[in-house]
Amino acid sequence: MAKDMTLMWGAGSPPCWRVMIALEEKNLQGYNSKQLSFEKGEHKSKDVMAINPRGQLPAFKHGNIVLNESYGICLYLEDQFKSQGTKLTPDNKAENALMLQRMFEGLTLFDAMKQVLFYTRFVPENERHDSAQKRNAENLKSEVGRWESYLQGSGPYLAGKTFSLADVIVFPVIAFLFRFGLSEEHYPKLAAYHNTLKDRPSIKSTWPPNWVDTPGQPALKDL
Amino acid sequence: MAQDMTLLWGSGSPPCWRVMIALEEKNLQGYNSKLLSFDKMEHKSQQVLDINPRGQVPSFKHGDLIINESYAACFYLESRFKSQGTKLIPDGAEEQALMFQRTFEGLTLYEKMAAVIFYTYYVPEGERLEAALKRNEEALVAELKLWEGYLEKLGSGSYLAGKSVSMTDVVVFPTVATLFRFGLSAERYPKLGAYYALMKERPSVKASWPPHWLENPKGQDTLKDM
Repeated sequence: MAKDMTLMWGAGSPPCWRVMIALEEKNLQGYNSKQLSFEKGEHKSKDVMAINPRGQLPAFKHGNIVLNESYGICLYLEDQFKSQGTKLTPDNKAENALMLQRMFEGLTLFDAMKQVLFYTRFVPENERHDSAQKRNAENLKSEVGRWESYLQGSGPYLAGKTFSLADVIVFPVIAFLFRFGLSEEHYPKLAAYHNTLKDRPSIKSTWPPNWVDTPGQPALKDL
Repeated sequence: MAQDMTLLWGSGSPPCWRVMIALEEKNLQGYNSKLLSFDKMEHKSQQVLDINPRGQVPSFKHGDLIINESYAACFYLESRFKSQGTKLIPDGAEEQALMFQRTFEGLTLYEKMAAVIFYTYYVPEGERLEAALKRNEEALVAELKLWEGYLEKLGSGSYLAGKSVSMTDVVVFPTVATLFRFGLSAERYPKLGAYYALMKERPSVKASWPPHWLENPKGQDTLKDM
């Protein structure tokens, strides 16, 4: 079971973190966990390329099965291990639909965040424009504002009353925003969500090791 | 059932097309279908904003439930109508994993295609650079080679994730069709070409083919030299 599973991951990466949370929630602790360093370029190493020719993390194996897309891994684990651990897909039809909606909107949130926080990583120096950075910041601000409003409704989780795949998938992105200085005063509902879920066992036990006892960065403090 | 469903969509939009194929595959014909015009900015109209504050299509309602993300709507339809129409999610671990893998890689394929064919739509004039577009084109070529390889490995007559149609085909075929609409060469990409020819004939695809593609069978040649 878990010992037939291997996960290659990098610290802080939301796609990797989601899978780790899912594995914990489905009681699949005991998988072979291989932490790699993005800074050292280990995500492009032969070991990773052998599982994931795209040279990206997470890279996941279950026996001979390979799955390298974080959403795919989470959905696979929930389906294949539906009878164990936390039920991550609500029975209630409305919550289920909302879970799917928020899971996939999570792609938009993550993208908006990357466009701001990783701008200089992705865009070569001579192609950068102030106008683009300004636009990306406005886009992120409006996107985060949208998620703040999503949490005004009935919660406390993204799909409503029950913890679901939406939280597994999106929480790591929200945590990343706060790590990079998102203001709790500007976004009190997101902050409350973040602070509640921080203590969930699956999240606590998979908290990025390089975040523990170190300060974050202030990039988003004025958002 | 289907009459309690409404889909707001635009012609040629791959995300909209995904949902339409899913509805057909799950035998949910008879839904309220509202074709909107992108040119007339109808995707930003009040009727869309009432369902989708993002002012985007597809916008999908089933009774009181609203799902505006194309992948979400497709997964919702499969889950809610599991026992009717085509089975889109295999049960077996290996088939299921491959389906999930290709389904989500489909997002990457779409992004890389959009970065080329919609470059001038996404990037304001003052920020456009030949070097950036060239890089996007190279990335798309690399991505297409991966998908050619995936189809080669599965053998002729296969679908994107195996021997049977699955969710992968529902969500990725519209992207493949758009590539060919924009001039991709079936000679250079024979496996994708064969897959395209295979899926084109499928009833769900025929029934949801973009109307303006029928009116103007000739597409663009943006990708012909790719």
